[in-house]
Amino acid sequence: MTRYMLKRTIGAVIVMWAVATLVFFMLRIVPGDPIAAMLFDVGDPAAAEEIKEKLGLDKPMYVQYAKWFLLVLQGDLGNSIYGSNIQVNRLIAEAAPRTLSLATLSFIVATMIAIPAGLIAATRKNSNLDHGVTFFAFLGLSMPDFWLAILLIIVFAANLHWLPAIGYVPLSEGFWPWFSHLILPSIAVGTAFSAIVARMIRSAMLEVMKSDFMQVARSKGLRENTLIMIHAFPNALIPVVTVMGIAFALLMSGAVVVENVFSIKGLGRMLIQGILNRDYPVVQGTILIISAIFVFTNLLVDMVYTLIDPRIRYDK
Amino acid sequence: MTEQTLAAIETETPPSLRRPGFMSVVKSDKKALVGLIVLAIFLATAILAPLISPYDPNDMDFEMMEAPSMVHPLGTDDLGRDLLSRIIHGTQISLFVGISTVAISLFFGVALGVAAGYYGGWLDNIIMRYIDLQWAFPNFIIAVYLVAVFGSGLLNVIIAISLAFLDDFARIARGMVLVIKEEQYVAAARTVGTSDFCIMWRHIAPNAVAPIIVQATVSISYAILGEASLSFLGLGVEVDTPTWGLILAEGRSFISRAWWLGVFPGVAIMLTVLSINFLGDGLRDYLDVRETGDPGAS
Amino acid sequence: MDNILKTLTAEQRTRIDDEVRDAYDFDPRDPLFGLSRNDLSGSEMKRRTVLRLLAAGGTLTALQLVPGVLGGSGELQAAGKAGGTLTCGWAGVGEIRTIDPAQINQVLQFQIASNVLSGLMHIDASLVGKPDLTEGFEVSSDGTEYTFKLREGVTFHNGDKFTADDVLFTYNRSKDPKKSIHSRILKNVKEVTKVNDYTVKFKLGRAQASFLTKTLERASGRAMTIVSRGGIEKLGVQQYGLTPVGTGPFKITFHELGQGVILEKNENYYDPSRPKLDKVIIKPIIAAEPLAAAIEAGDIKLIGGNPPAAELIDRFKSNPDLVVKEAPGPGFQAVWMNPHRDPFKVADFNVPLPELMKQKGFKVRLAIAKALDRERYLKQARFGRGYPAYGSINPAMGYYFDENLGDDSNQKFDVKEAQKLLAEAGFPGGKGFPELTLGATVQNRRDAQVVASILKRNLGIKVKVETKDSPVLLQDFLAMRYDMMRIGSGGDYDPDDGVVDWMQTNSKFNGAKRDKSKMKFGYWSEDEADKLIATQSVEANVKERKALVQKANKITSDKVACAFLYHPMDIKVWHKSVNVPAESLIPALVDLDRTTLS
Repeated sequence: MTRYMLKRTIGAVIVMWAVATLVFFMLRIVPGDPIAAMLFDVGDPAAAEEIKEKLGLDKPMYVQYAKWFLLVLQGDLGNSIYGSNIQVNRLIAEAAPRTLSLATLSFIVATMIAIPAGLIAATRKNSNLDHGVTFFAFLGLSMPDFWLAILLIIVFAANLHWLPAIGYVPLSEGFWPWFSHLILPSIAVGTAFSAIVARMIRSAMLEVMKSDFMQVARSKGLRENTLIMIHAFPNALIPVVTVMGIAFALLMSGAVVVENVFSIKGLGRMLIQGILNRDYPVVQGTILIISAIFVFTNLLVDMVYTLIDPRIRYDK
Repeated sequence: MTEQTLAAIETETPPSLRRPGFMSVVKSDKKALVGLIVLAIFLATAILAPLISPYDPNDMDFEMMEAPSMVHPLGTDDLGRDLLSRIIHGTQISLFVGISTVAISLFFGVALGVAAGYYGGWLDNIIMRYIDLQWAFPNFIIAVYLVAVFGSGLLNVIIAISLAFLDDFARIARGMVLVIKEEQYVAAARTVGTSDFCIMWRHIAPNAVAPIIVQATVSISYAILGEASLSFLGLGVEVDTPTWGLILAEGRSFISRAWWLGVFPGVAIMLTVLSINFLGDGLRDYLDVRETGDPGAS
Repeated sequence: MDNILKTLTAEQRTRIDDEVRDAYDFDPRDPLFGLSRNDLSGSEMKRRTVLRLLAAGGTLTALQLVPGVLGGSGELQAAGKAGGTLTCGWAGVGEIRTIDPAQINQVLQFQIASNVLSGLMHIDASLVGKPDLTEGFEVSSDGTEYTFKLREGVTFHNGDKFTADDVLFTYNRSKDPKKSIHSRILKNVKEVTKVNDYTVKFKLGRAQASFLTKTLERASGRAMTIVSRGGIEKLGVQQYGLTPVGTGPFKITFHELGQGVILEKNENYYDPSRPKLDKVIIKPIIAAEPLAAAIEAGDIKLIGGNPPAAELIDRFKSNPDLVVKEAPGPGFQAVWMNPHRDPFKVADFNVPLPELMKQKGFKVRLAIAKALDRERYLKQARFGRGYPAYGSINPAMGYYFDENLGDDSNQKFDVKEAQKLLAEAGFPGGKGFPELTLGATVQNRRDAQVVASILKRNLGIKVKVETKDSPVLLQDFLAMRYDMMRIGSGGDYDPDDGVVDWMQTNSKFNGAKRDKSKMKFGYWSEDEADKLIATQSVEANVKERKALVQKANKITSDKVACAFLYHPMDIKVWHKSVNVPAESLIPALVDLDRTTLS
């Protein structure tokens, strides 16, 4: 077990290194000169050369790579090309809480809807309620998140004025300001996720309820509700955990698009802006962090999975 | 995804077991039936687009932002183009992107996965390392990155989304091959001296088909959503190619003045994806592939 | 514009005409523009002096003299209460990357800097330079030596005293291309010396009319916006870029990229009556719909940053809670045609126009320029917000703008003539015309589609719009890698910004990165225009300069350096509970020191 986990962790780190390297070189072979664009209005070629020299962009690519790699090993992701050359570390430290707030809240909102919906659908199989849940789950899966985001802004912000249309307020400025800014984006991001989880819970519940040990429990005369909550539900959660890695990917992808609609400068928005501006260090850093979050979430999911499902052993 | 979850995708039905005809299943599954009908309508729209579209989708000949009327059933957009014509032509592009990306990633993904699973060893190692690499990212972010780096445009969008889905197919195919390889009939074929390619093509591929079909169906819907999102972020197809995502992105600033610009293209996307999902679900039941959460969702 | 003038009484008109005539009445060879040294030196300039300087800069128009339009013309403002917090949205931007004057390269950045940092001079609503950190100045008789008496008792936000050393520190920092991107602006400054703690002397290479309003201007010049040595040393350059320390009316207390900027009242500002507001919150909002939702819901009360999307303006105007002000904005936008590629090939622009008119490549260029229905374009692409363009000199430049160019230019809109030219070039009705691409930035894609549609409608030619990220597109533009391109200029206050930067053979944008072995020139090269442009930039006589500028401008128009499209509009929007006095309505700036809430 320990050996397996160690192996997985090392594997994860190697994957991240490969990702970072790939991103580094891919970004530099494509056309687009960020400095020229930045100085387009100022138009001083001398300034362009100076800036390139200052940022080390005049050196051969492999030198740039070696330099960058050494810095990354020390935990320094470099500096943004634009403006006052802010450290990427700092940008990420500012953006990550926004994305994580959004992802966490989406996760909570989505599970809060998905679990009861899935349970109800499973325990009342083929009822109208079940069909209703299934239909809404399908609907949730089929709506583009950015479209949902726009509709939410129009209805709840522009017309009803119930919630703010855009932006993010840190938790330190109070719970409600933080929460109110995240409600609409969380719904937009969490809907598809909620649909998946509801469907997973429903089918897992149906499976568990058919199983032998449920028959035994039932024959012992336990009440149906106890049966469902104490015996069936926890077992049904096991397969659900396996999709959490995927779910996280879904939340992150959703965040990329939805952050753009709601003007929240999270990791997703940072990535898109960085790519569009050819801000190499920002893109490299963001990609590295997103892949780190993703790889380690998957690793964590695996570990949790082995803990809650004793049937699985890693002997290889 | 890890090995143990892959095992969950395995078919429970022995491959030789006969199933009832697909159409009879569709008839009994109303969801799938609805899905099939709606999808057929969209497909017909796509094929007949130049014939049934009332106007040229790029002609800016009309009043700007005119509400739906007899002349313009879905109204006109912010540049005075007929929205219905644009959505009809958009069907073409959206379905084309959906189907072609899945065809490409299915072909290459399955080829990689089958090769990796069948031969094992260093080949498996290399392919799996690559797949692991892709696995370190949500599919959509890969697509965003590739399009951003190589530039927008229809072809690049298709390549980017195909590449992003590659690992899903490769993983499923490889997992299936690993399971089936150990089956007796394959071992038997091998002892008789059948060639590797022949074994893969004749014996393994057909039996790995069920979960891949399901995956492919689901992936089409995600490809369509993916293209729409890319276009929405300004990373999608060429501007004079109307796609649903682009129509939404362009109409976005005008929604409060012209609700039809925000509603109809979104409804078109939703209906198509919904019908594909209905159909996929029917297929899943029919082929008895256990749901694992949709890997394509990432 | 003329409409405003028409509403005036005859008496008012006569007075305005007299004032304009008087302002322009000086000997062009006089470096002091007919003003005495007393007029120019001192703490308060007389109205006549201001108008004269305005005329000397060539920016004086009758419009500016209309009561209520020219800032500080004595009109009383409805005064709101002092205090309170104003929340602003900065449109079309995701983050304020820097507020360090040395790094600022966007208008939306110096809009904020102008509230936080000071300069020796600051332009007012009529673009006249007014003393900011100076109590007065003297000019030598040849106009090359300026001696400034600095304001005493001014402190930086961190408590440091402002002295002549800070002027020198700023100068030394800004002229170093390693530290500032604006070193070019200081090329004409030969030396800056400290006379004593509160007196500095600038020595110029040659007399320069725009010295006060451009080089020393606190916002738009950015080269001599006074920075704090103590602040930079303590915070480091990076942090200083986010939260610069200055002597301005507001100090920055918070700045997180993408999140926003918070300004708080500088209690020790040199003018104790300013600022009125306690706090200003600035939020970047990149998309149009959320911006509209935010101001309609009252989440934000004023829009700064990039001009709000044109399609929103009618909507804002119909909202009784919002105030919308429209004025000519500085800049020009155009469609560029590559003269090194078919079918636009022109080997040499240095032939007389009638001969040029006989060439096939030129006919195609002119056909396109003449087929551009600018009115239709403005209506469809800009919702009517903008002015048709036939040259690079824009209406915001006032005096230099040629109102008749639309009628006189070879590029005058004429479909029949355009079709005829295209047919003569061998493409009757657009038949046989190659399918060309029109490059544009992602932001301009809507815009470019309208251009393509107009060309299709009027000439029957198909143009494929191709959008690219701006770093890629700009590189293609400078390297002459395009068939056609939709690109233009912004922030042009002086004729130099238009003709010198764009229309000379050696202009910085004119194919600067092309393969020089294959292409003799960039998008355009014309000897006469080159000469006229070079002469105008050292011409002190504004009348002469105006003539030179307009002549050069007309050549670029007639010989189709590009197909000129439109000049932008400067649009300001705020909630009616915000009082923005007329003197704060400086084109493209958002100075909030006099703004109040009611």
